[in-house]
Amino acid sequence: MGTVDQTNADAFAQHLIASIKMAPPKLVLDLAGIGVMTSRGLRALTLAERAAHTSDTRIVLARPSAAMREVLAISGYDMFFRVADSLEDAIGG
Amino acid sequence: MQIRFWGTRGSLPVAPHASTFSDKIADALIAAQGRHFADKQEALAFAQDELEFAIGQGYGGATSCVEVDAGKGAFVVCDMGSGVREFGLDTLRRLAEGNRPKEWHFFMSHLHWDHIMGFPFFVPAFVDGAKVIVHAGHADCEEALRRQQEEISFPVPFDWLKADIEFRTLTPGTEYEIGELTVSLIEQEHSHASYGYRFRDAKGSSAVYSTDAEYKIDKMHEESSMVEFIAGADLVIADTMYSLADSVSMKEDWGHSSNIVAVDLCHEAGAKRLALFHHEPTYSDADIQRMHADTLRYEQLTRTGAKLDVLCSYDGLCVEI
Repeated sequence: MGTVDQTNADAFAQHLIASIKMAPPKLVLDLAGIGVMTSRGLRALTLAERAAHTSDTRIVLARPSAAMREVLAISGYDMFFRVADSLEDAIGG
Repeated sequence: MQIRFWGTRGSLPVAPHASTFSDKIADALIAAQGRHFADKQEALAFAQDELEFAIGQGYGGATSCVEVDAGKGAFVVCDMGSGVREFGLDTLRRLAEGNRPKEWHFFMSHLHWDHIMGFPFFVPAFVDGAKVIVHAGHADCEEALRRQQEEISFPVPFDWLKADIEFRTLTPGTEYEIGELTVSLIEQEHSHASYGYRFRDAKGSSAVYSTDAEYKIDKMHEESSMVEFIAGADLVIADTMYSLADSVSMKEDWGHSSNIVAVDLCHEAGAKRLALFHHEPTYSDADIQRMHADTLRYEQLTRTGAKLDVLCSYDGLCVEI
């Protein structure tokens, strides 16, 4: 499983923001392949959220690992984003 | 080198209510489950070794003041928050034991009131023959200290202090030999700026004091300079006042940082120990303990190399490095 940290957070943020610029009503971020994010990864999510606010896009985090769920809780980021257990729930909810 | 924490709160000193003690005693009695203690020593050992820290002890409420003690020579201390009163009294006691000069070196992170409020109560400043040198990255440090002792704010004017008080402005990127230590500083993001300090002793042990530093979300690429500054440090004392979520939302631009940014910077820098510092004054002992537990878990989840030892500073903590 991958990690989003200071080595790749910039590219991660740029990719998210490029997707948001297409102004979809919802962006589902599938976290199944991510083991954990450090503060750089989480702050990249915040940059994406700020761009999403401008384009009225809702970001949903899907299929976080157990470790990722813990990181979201420890950082307080679980209060910022809706977290879905499955892609179906993320897309349909 | 010994690092002594005399004040670990940010913003405002706090003091427990009467009910805080009753709560702790009640929780301790429940934990004791009717156990009998032969004497006070046994009871103390139970409180200190078997109870959760937030029940048997507490994190204290004095504002920022951290001593860097090389064991000889002049006394060295970071900031003059309300914890400086006890520091000052303790140094006078140590002077009475002999072998140290009546000389104190302060290193100021910045000039906000929680970091200067203790100076009017720093007893050595009233001692004729004492030498007090205040080092700061700020050229207006003397102005800030004099201002807080103007008559409108305080009954004892700055000029009544009998010690020989000198102010020295330091430059980031330069190393200074001060007493037994080599000292360098780095500018940090905070209103009116703040400065972090790195202290190295003759054996090569190093400690970093980095409080009141914000890591802005639009300047994350600049964090590499702090990583370089703290590289390989034996102890990093870092501002961990807010959750990451708070630091990027309602408390953005308030000039502080989070526990998980501190862990990440220390991991990247290969630092050995991190002391959580500048505790939010609204946090109870239980809140701070919970934050410490969360930080330990985060360090474990994100560790890729050597383990970072995460301490939670409290008034009275002494760390040997």
